Amino acid sequence: MTPTLPSGDQASDQDNWDNGRLAHKRQLLTEIILRNRLTALVVDGDTTCRVLEQLLLHSYGVQTQGVDNGRDAIALIASGVKFNLIIIDMILSVLNGLEATRQIRDMGVHCKMLGVTACSGESERQAFLAAGVDVFIEKPLDPEHLVPILRELDGQ
Amino acid sequence: MDRNRLHNQVASMRRSLFDQGYLDDQFIQLEELQDDTNPNFVQEVVTLFYNDSTRLIQNIEQALNSRPIDFCKLDDYMHQFKGSSSSIGAKKVTNECTAFREYCNAENAEGCIRSFQQVKQEHAILKRKLEVYLQTVTSFSNSMSCMETILSYIAYTIISSSLYIENMDKYGKLFGTTPQTELGVDKCLTTL
Repeated sequence: MTPTLPSGDQASDQDNWDNGRLAHKRQLLTEIILRNRLTALVVDGDTTCRVLEQLLLHSYGVQTQGVDNGRDAIALIASGVKFNLIIIDMILSVLNGLEATRQIRDMGVHCKMLGVTACSGESERQAFLAAGVDVFIEKPLDPEHLVPILRELDGQ
Repeated sequence: MDRNRLHNQVASMRRSLFDQGYLDDQFIQLEELQDDTNPNFVQEVVTLFYNDSTRLIQNIEQALNSRPIDFCKLDDYMHQFKGSSSSIGAKKVTNECTAFREYCNAENAEGCIRSFQQVKQEHAILKRKLEVYLQTVTSFSNSMSCMETILSYIAYTIISSSLYIENMDKYGKLFGTTPQTELGVDKCLTTL
């Protein structure tokens, strides 16, 4: 059994330090049920980030694949695999995220692309958007950003 | 009771990690992703982070020791470090990574070296605190499992005894004795 950790909405006054925020987060996590089967590709060189992003998507019922560099992402898409959503980091080995994004768009792929990166500067944001991502998100990827996008992709 | 003490300990440690700024809301995200199909998810992700980030620290140290310093490579390493630390909610570590990147962008070698010491310090402090916290969570979880086992056994014994009492006559005929005799009871319980 997974232990029930002390949480805001079950806690005593002593534990009530994040009552509102935790309840809001839980609401966001559970408030979407996908009607369609969506697929996503996560392109991130960092294993921790890639695992977390894939599991977050999976928790909403999205089928995911993950690769750790830009070249493998290009090869996968070139092989004909289709995705509803691509999540891509800016800094990647072999082929960086900006160039990989340009090449993916040049291949005629029009699916939603999220640039999810630890970079937070305006110049990085503009560069990633110019390369072809639809949305620029500073890491970590969280439900507040993801759920509206999934809802849009699901036609809700 | 030990269980209550453990529960309070877990709650207190968790509150302290957030109040003192070691963790932020993203850690709650990890906890939300933990469920019966991934019962040790938080522990596994924290372990994954520390395995990967230890390698990154070694790479950054090598890059800082090389002459001339390759600030682009340093920035890439720290970008990855910042990304993974923010993904597990390691707030202080992430903040130190941000400070480092500012020195890196300015190509300030001394600033990078000083800042990196802070990154390593926060990284180590959080590792110790999370080890203790997650160990306490595991102890609490094990005490819950133990209690469930005990309660299940008690429930089983009560139900079995109830069934035995309901079927006194049948067992008496089966063992050639009245169920009240000790020998009869032992034989009945063995049969069950």
